[in-house]
Amino acid sequence: MTGSLIQNIHHYCIGLSYLCAFLLETARLLWPAKGWRITGLGFGAAGLFAHTAYLLVQQPSPAVPYGSVLMLAWVLAIFYFYGTVHFANVDRSAKWSDAFRQARPGAAWAVFVLPVVIGLVALSRVLLTAAPDHAAFNFAGWASGDRFWGAIHGLLILFASGGVSVGFLASMMYLIQARRLRRKVAPATVVPLLSLERLETMNRRAINIAFPMLTAGLLVGTLLIPHGPSLSDNWLSVKVLSTTGLWLVFLVLLYLRYGAHVPARRLALFSVVAFSLLLVALVASHPFALGDAK
Amino acid sequence: MNLRAIGCNVASAAVELRERLAFNPDKTQKALTELNARFTAEAVILDTCNRVEIYVSRQDTVAPLHIPLMAEFLAEVHGVPAAEIVPHLYEHADAGAAKHLFRVASGLDSVVVGEGQIAGQVKDAYEAALKTTATGPLLNTLFPAAIRVSKRVRSETGIALGHVSVPSAAVDFVRQVFDTFADKTVLVIGAGEMGRLTLKHLAELEPAAILVTNRSPENAANVAQECGGQVIPWQQLDDALVRADIVLSTTGAPEPIVTRRRFDEKVRRRRAGRTLVIFDIAVPRDFDPAIHDGEVSVFNVDDLAREADRCLGERKRHLPAAEAIVEAEVTKFVGDWNTRANGPVIGQLLSEADKLRESLLVPLLAQMNGKLTDKEKADIEKAFRLFQGRLLHGPIAALNEASRDGHGGLREALRKLFGLKG
Repeated sequence: MTGSLIQNIHHYCIGLSYLCAFLLETARLLWPAKGWRITGLGFGAAGLFAHTAYLLVQQPSPAVPYGSVLMLAWVLAIFYFYGTVHFANVDRSAKWSDAFRQARPGAAWAVFVLPVVIGLVALSRVLLTAAPDHAAFNFAGWASGDRFWGAIHGLLILFASGGVSVGFLASMMYLIQARRLRRKVAPATVVPLLSLERLETMNRRAINIAFPMLTAGLLVGTLLIPHGPSLSDNWLSVKVLSTTGLWLVFLVLLYLRYGAHVPARRLALFSVVAFSLLLVALVASHPFALGDAK
Repeated sequence: MNLRAIGCNVASAAVELRERLAFNPDKTQKALTELNARFTAEAVILDTCNRVEIYVSRQDTVAPLHIPLMAEFLAEVHGVPAAEIVPHLYEHADAGAAKHLFRVASGLDSVVVGEGQIAGQVKDAYEAALKTTATGPLLNTLFPAAIRVSKRVRSETGIALGHVSVPSAAVDFVRQVFDTFADKTVLVIGAGEMGRLTLKHLAELEPAAILVTNRSPENAANVAQECGGQVIPWQQLDDALVRADIVLSTTGAPEPIVTRRRFDEKVRRRRAGRTLVIFDIAVPRDFDPAIHDGEVSVFNVDDLAREADRCLGERKRHLPAAEAIVEAEVTKFVGDWNTRANGPVIGQLLSEADKLRESLLVPLLAQMNGKLTDKEKADIEKAFRLFQGRLLHGPIAALNEASRDGHGGLREALRKLFGLKG
């Protein structure tokens, strides 16, 4: 019974759970009341459970766009869950245990992260509908030869993508917070955000972690290209070009931060550009098939 | 419940009178002992800069204490004519007194709504009375409840959110920018009074260093001594601005001391894009407002005043929710207290009824001795008990129901109706 229930989990179940969590979180910020937050987190947890179950049961390959987008959404869903609990109090001096009892809002974390998660789940569904003959990840065959390196490549790119997405979300929040301060708008209680310093640190760490992973992922991918079906197609594919573009943007970002000491606001704008490139790279068809992918 | 809250506050009495009615620890102790002895009353005296209030409770069967008597008592303690005191006193009775205390402890009756100091003062007042053994069953229940209600109101509503004074509002802004302060440097320029107050709040964030500079080295040294800061020569202002993360400027200079050009040429480039927050609370302003951009935020005294007003407005938005909590807690407190107070009355009522039943049943059974079987005797006894139970069930249920609704009058009525004592 439970097994068949899990088999029947679809994108809709995942997306709707996250959507409910998002709506409850938004309601909490607009009309502070007891219970909104914990209920929202409950829906978020249900969505994360369904999401995890789907990935475990359907085992979509990270080599196909729908699979990689869905996995990225999963990484960000974990990020949502962690952030909602960890930043339950904007005021760090407040007791954490009070956070879920307070009618006062904690950081408006979910309202930034969940739309991206929901968007990625929806995008994954669209990609699946567009190319229904998707491949499943073959756990048995991944450990041998090219397939092993293909899987390593896929995982490195996935985690780098997670880093870019976290950097993007931190940057969006940073830009809004910086805009508030620039316009001398009072610290908002309706949509409370973390401090500029915290958001900037988050962005910096995300990029610092994502860049080596992306570099390694690209290197592995480059070595795999000669083994692909058509050499010229692979080198000039949108996926390769956009991923290389993303890597270059990263390089520029790191130079601007550590070499040119560019203000954090401009770095945040670059992070948004990097995320846009990431989306292009993810949606584009993947050249490094794991062998069992189409 | 025979509870009274009698006193005056900032709304009912001028500071001159409140000063004359103020208690010190010694006077408080003597007054509490006297209230106990003279009126056989439990008492707590709450004395803050905004209010002087006496909470007194007596047995239900004796007359409550009212304003004239308490005015005379205060007159005697402080040597102020009672006639001067009476017009400024207010009185809250029973549930009203409990509600008043809950509101006071929650900061709903304070000049600055939601201020947190009052909860501690209520606690201190209660502990002082407890030490003098001036409290009894009612106040020993009421004051801990008030402290609990105060915590609930603060944690479940936004009544205590934000900073509501101009100097403290700087903290709200600076927290939007920085997350930790242990590695931050605060630079203080000038030595104005408002600046010192603001510095006090910023110093509570425990920054790594406080630098102080002033045209007058003596003034700089004074401020540095007050806040544990380090004096920087006025000539090194630009260097200090490069080092600083937070600047507090409060000089009396007639024109800006840091122009946009000076800042861009001598400071901005050397800061390597680091964020800077400047609180320019001098009038005329010390910093050219054009310096304000994404990396450097300049807030003037108007910005801080606006933030303080906003916080106060935000707190007021939470007043209905806070009042609802107080209302619910008062109802619960009064209901619980009345139910608790019913115990002795119900016990006495049942005991009297038992005695009455026995006084009727024993002679009756003696009269019919030999004519009844044991089963018949038991049936008669059972019938008497059943009759007694059914007769008393209505009044007892009504009494408990009235108590839950906060009405203690029925208890007195029962006492009179059934001739109960105590």
